[in-house]
This record gives sequence, C-alpha cells and structure tokens, in this order.
Amino acid sequence: MADLHESRLALITVLASQAPGGYIGRTALMKYMYFLQVLRGVPLGYRFTLYSYGPFDSDVLADLGSAEALSTVKSELERYSGGYWYKIRPDDHADWIRERAASFLAKYQTDVNWVVEKFGGLGSAELELDSTIIYADREALDRREKIDLPEVAKRVHEIKPHFSQEQVQSHASRLVEEGLLKAVA
Amino acid sequence: MNDPHRKYEIRCPLHGFITLNDWEWSVISQPAFQRLRRIRQLGWTDYIYPGAMHTRFEHSLGVMHVATRLYEAIKKNSREVLESDLGFTQEGLERDKQLVRFAALLHDVGHSPFSHASEELFPLKKDGTRYSHEDCSVAILTSELRSAIEEHPLNNNWRFTAEDIAALIQGSAAAKQGLFWRDLISGQMDADRMDYLQRDAYHAGVQYGRFDLNRLVATTRAIRDKDGGQPRLGISEGGVHAAEGLVLARYFMFTQIYFHKTRVAYDVHLRGAMKELLTNQKFPAPAGGGIKRFLKWDDWKVLGLLAGGKGGEHGKRMLERKHYRRVYWTSETPDKKGVEEAENVRKKLGTLFAAEERAAKSWYKTGRDDDIPVFDEKYDTRLPLSEHSNVVKNLQANNQIFLYVRPEDVGPAEKIVREVKKHGRSS
Repeated sequence: MADLHESRLALITVLASQAPGGYIGRTALMKYMYFLQVLRGVPLGYRFTLYSYGPFDSDVLADLGSAEALSTVKSELERYSGGYWYKIRPDDHADWIRERAASFLAKYQTDVNWVVEKFGGLGSAELELDSTIIYADREALDRREKIDLPEVAKRVHEIKPHFSQEQVQSHASRLVEEGLLKAVA
Repeated sequence: MNDPHRKYEIRCPLHGFITLNDWEWSVISQPAFQRLRRIRQLGWTDYIYPGAMHTRFEHSLGVMHVATRLYEAIKKNSREVLESDLGFTQEGLERDKQLVRFAALLHDVGHSPFSHASEELFPLKKDGTRYSHEDCSVAILTSELRSAIEEHPLNNNWRFTAEDIAALIQGSAAAKQGLFWRDLISGQMDADRMDYLQRDAYHAGVQYGRFDLNRLVATTRAIRDKDGGQPRLGISEGGVHAAEGLVLARYFMFTQIYFHKTRVAYDVHLRGAMKELLTNQKFPAPAGGGIKRFLKWDDWKVLGLLAGGKGGEHGKRMLERKHYRRVYWTSETPDKKGVEEAENVRKKLGTLFAAEERAAKSWYKTGRDDDIPVFDEKYDTRLPLSEHSNVVKNLQANNQIFLYVRPEDVGPAEKIVREVKKHGRSS
C-alpha cells in the first residue's frame, strides 16, 4: 500500500492525465493541489503559505521531481513570445504508481474530477488570483473575521496591484456564488 | 539607554563584518534569540564532520546579511518592475528593507533542539498538518520579542508591529505587496540557502557548498511575467553560472552532508530519544502558553538529560556511539525495480530491520531547482536556468532509500541483502 509520499506522486500523475489536453502546467499543478487540500479536504499534508503568486509549497515541486525521476510523469518546456511554461504529461511508469496508490486514488477520484472541472479552463494568472482570494478568505476565517467583497478585493489587490480591485472583486464574486468562500459574505 | 542610532559589528567567518543597528541589536539580545546559541545548525553532524558545531545564531545573522545584499541588488537592477508592477515607492522600499532584515533574522528563532532533526515531533494542527519551526518563530516574535520590536525608538520611523514581520515569515495576506520579498526568506534562491550551504561547508570542512555568491547577488532581479502573473525573483543572464553553482552546491551538500548515512542514523536516534524525553512524545504546541514551555527546550537541556541516562535505547546508543548501520541502499534515482527491491529487502530483514530513511522525505531534499528564471534584457525574453545549463537540466531529484539495522545485527542482515541482490526481487 502506498504511503502519503507515493499517494502524492500518484495524484500528480492522475492530474497530468486528467487535465484538459492530457497535460498540466506547474502553476496549475500547484494550485490544483491547494484546491484539493483546502476546498475538498484531501489529506495531502502540504504546508501551503502565501507568496505574491499565490499559495505555494516547495514540497509539491519536490514531489514533481520525484515523480519525474521515477518516470511516472515527464515535463517538456514550451516557449511562447518572451516566456515559457512546462507541459507535464504521464510517462512510462504512470500505471505502476497508479496501481500502488489505487485505494487512495479511488477514495478521492470525485474530488479530482471536481477540481479539474471547476478550474480546468483557467490560465495561470487566473489560478494565481483565485487561489490568493481563497487563501485570504481562509485566513479571515481562521481569525473569525467576517469580511465583505470589497474588503477581500482590497486585500488581494494590495498583494497583486496589477489586478484592479474590480477584477479581483469579479473573481471573488464568482467564488462566493459557487460557495467556495467561507468568511466573505 | 543606548544611543538608538548606534551601529554594531559582529565578525562572521563567511561574510566578514555583519552590521546591525541598535534596534536589531536589542532584538538579538533577548533570551528567546540568544537561545539560538544553544541550537546546533546540523544536529549531530559533528559525529561525522567534527567541525560542524555551528549554531542557528550565527546562521540567522548571516541570513539577514545576505537578504540585505539581495534586496539592494534587486532594487538596483529592477526598480522599474518594483515601482510599476508592485506599486513600490521610495519610502515603501526603505520600509520593506527593514522588514526583510527582521524576517531574515528571526525566521529560524523557533527551531527545536538540534534543528530539523527533531522537527517531526511538533504536534499536529486541527487541519491535520504539522506545526513547523516557522509557526514557532511567529509565536515567539509575537510574544517574547514583541516589546523589543515594537518599542524601540527607531520604530517611531516605521511603526512596525510584530505581526508585520510575522506576515512575511509565515506568508499572510497582511504582508500586502511585501509578499514579493518572501522568496528572499523562503524560495529556491533565498538568503537562507545561500548562507547555510556555504556556512555548513565551511564548518564541516568540505568544499562542496561553494558557489559565487557575489556574482549571484549582483545579478539577482525581479522579472516581469509576460503571462499576466506576478513578477518573479530571477537572475540576469550574466548570473547563469553562479546560479548553476548554487544548484550544484545544494546537490553535493545533500549527498555528502545532509543525507550522509551516519548523520541520518543519528537523526533517527535523536527522534527516538526525544520521544522518551517529551511529554506525550511531542513538543508543546506554539499556541496558547505552549511557547514558553517550548523555549525551555534547547540542545543543552537535551544533552543534560541524555548524559543523565534518559532517552531510552536511542539515548543510550547516542551516548555509546552504537548507532544503527546502513546495510542496504538504492541508487540516488532508483527506478521502479529499485523501489521494489528495497521493499523486498525490508520484508526479508523482518525483525532485523531497524529504520528506513528516504531522501525524498528529508528536510534538505532537492526538488526542481531548474526553474530559476533567467532574463535576457536585450531581447526581453525569459528562460529557465535549465535551458542555459545542461548540468541543471539533467539533474534528477534524489529518491534514494537507506535501510538500517542495529550494529549487532549487521552480519545476518548483510547475508540477507546479498541473497536478495543475488536472486533479484522475486526471491
């Protein structure tokens, strides 16, 4: 039976195959893991903390490195004008890790489907924004604060000033409608 | 009362003089910070490398020094990005410099005895994740260090609260635009790593942790994201080989020091002994009044208890230097056959098996270091370090597995390992 570490490697492999197009980027991988742990309660044991680019835990990338070394996924660099991103796809030993973590994956398959369906269409900047809004919401919840939409928009805009408060509020409003925020009324 | 504008200099074997202002001096003079003189940086590494007796105290000063150098370089190299993308003003940049210095100075103040070796003994939080030394750092600076931070006359210029520094250390929305600087405290090219690699190498007496710090600092900058995301910390093209040196230093230090077979065995023994010494086998949670009880734990206390015969079987083994012996190990990057062979050996060892340690679960594990963005100013392009360095591109994560037995069982255990290796994993 797989331990937590192997279960996380298997989850990376499954997310890579289930994401739209059969591949996933590093930002999407990081944020999907965050959503799985925080929004769906999947016990991944990551310790996400907030950076200006959203919730992040270097252990997710360390796990990605382990998964690549075991050939359960492989990464390819994709360039675009002035920048780059990584396409992560299942590799030769994807089935092997899936089998080892079969019971973990079966238990949380619905949650994986939910995250991919809900956030699969978003680009990396939107994923950074949505995950930052959710992080700010959960922080307020921990402090037993009730905040309104303009307040969460102000807080996130202060972290990400290149998004206007209106843009942030529009994203936060969608997340409220979907019932994903808990401290924001 | 001291002159609040007085400067202090402390000698550092790596960086020469480290300069502190009176405000920082008053913070490091507090008992909670002085405790770091009694927390060794590398646990029981001196049993393998006798010089490695250095402490979190000198490392914390070093991180503050390196973070300041990086901060100044970023300000010089990428002021336009800081002002237009992150909205910094001159005053905001001056303010955040002092915040970054405090965050760097205090990020490790919550370490448990012998540093990372005992970190697994922090209790769990309500959400199932484990408290960390950063949680303790935040609890200490918002309690024991609060008055030294908030009441110094120099704070009349900035009016910092302890929470302002905590927000940067723990990663909170309250840090606002200042979150950009978190990568200097905790990131793939942070001041922490740049200091500990060189410091650990210096004290251990090895050459592996060396890299060109001056070049790396001089080329560090904020890089605008062309995809609409936040600016990232990266380097100019001229820093490629210095960054390559940092990545390689980390790889070598991991294989030669941090994941050394005997060093890892002493981590196992320390955890086992500490479980015997702690109430409920855990450190007090940093919430509520727990932090005062936590602060009483330092290396001196643990060593005293071990010298007094406490710590059970593990404590005894540490005293008598009868540590577990590694009898089986995979390659650094085992394939699925390698992983299955390790499982088979573990099974066959049966009651002889004493401990398993995996590089992928180590505190110092190496992950994906290939993504340090490199900026080509002339053509306004960004590429990761791996596209500039074949060495970095081909460096894989270390997934090595070690299996240990008691020293008295080495003979029969090695016989079993030999049999498994001879007949393959199906035996």
